[in-house]
Amino acid sequence: MTEVVDFGIEVASAVLCFALVKFMFKPYALTKEGRYLGLPVGFAFLGISEAMLAIGVLQPASELRLLSLLTRTFAYVFMAATYYFSRDPAKKSRLIWSITFGLIIVALATLAVLMVRGPQVGLYLNPSLSVFLRLLALFCISYMCVRTLRSHMQAPEPSTLWIPIGFIFLGISQYSLIIWAADANYSQGYAFVGGLVARFVGLGIFITVAYLSFYKTKKWRVNEKPSA
Amino acid sequence: MRNLQRRDRVKIYGDLLSILNAEANSDKIVLTKVQVQINVPFDRLKSYISELKELGLIENEYSLKLTEKGKQFLREYEKVLDFMKRMGLIYGKQKKIHENDPTGLCP
Repeated sequence: MTEVVDFGIEVASAVLCFALVKFMFKPYALTKEGRYLGLPVGFAFLGISEAMLAIGVLQPASELRLLSLLTRTFAYVFMAATYYFSRDPAKKSRLIWSITFGLIIVALATLAVLMVRGPQVGLYLNPSLSVFLRLLALFCISYMCVRTLRSHMQAPEPSTLWIPIGFIFLGISQYSLIIWAADANYSQGYAFVGGLVARFVGLGIFITVAYLSFYKTKKWRVNEKPSA
Repeated sequence: MRNLQRRDRVKIYGDLLSILNAEANSDKIVLTKVQVQINVPFDRLKSYISELKELGLIENEYSLKLTEKGKQFLREYEKVLDFMKRMGLIYGKQKKIHENDPTGLCP
């Protein structure tokens, strides 16, 4: 029964992620600025990660969990890169962080190649490296949360508060998964299910925000008089 | 040093269409007024207007009305900007380009 619930949440999260890719692609489609590609790519990776976990619920395999962990870390790094490169252009310390981001992506790509390359390495991940990847993902989520909160505080509006809340839920989810992994139990415990639910809620907030932006009727429309 | 954000062509097009849309009910659009609002040199404003005409987004250089395609572009532009603002991708306080811009998103 628990497996069915887990599977359902994973599949729903994967669907939400792939639906979000469509919305997240729009800023890039309009501006053609490469920095905005991080969000659609990130959500696509997150969707792939969720899909792998869903398959993993039906057919438990440690390889799927490892690949899912890696793709999820990639996802959050790509998303954080978009926020990093969208920040105030007047900041000076950009080069160091740009190099850091580049190195993280190269390191993760190397790790991915090593994991799937051959039988001599195989799909094995050192437990401490696994914890490091989870912590890296948590760091990226925290960075995005701080960035969106700062953006909200500069121009406080209720509509801009939801995304930081969404990131907080993703952070809670990631933290729960760290606790679950550190437990080394790998059973379907409260931390695991709580993490899944928190991630689903976070993704639900993102899709709601996207829906409100693109489909909800606004006060002011093209060629209409603005409301007083 | 002033903290000026670079605007790309799409943003300038969006801003220009937004201003022209706000002035749609005026009898005549004064280009120098538009130039002050959009904050670009006059010769560049003229070239942007020509480009928008070539793209079929506006018509008639002297009354400057948005075409259906232009209105559609502006609607999509506003939605995406609103989404980017909600996502926290637009950094800092945005200056309202004209009084009729309740979104306050125009850079």
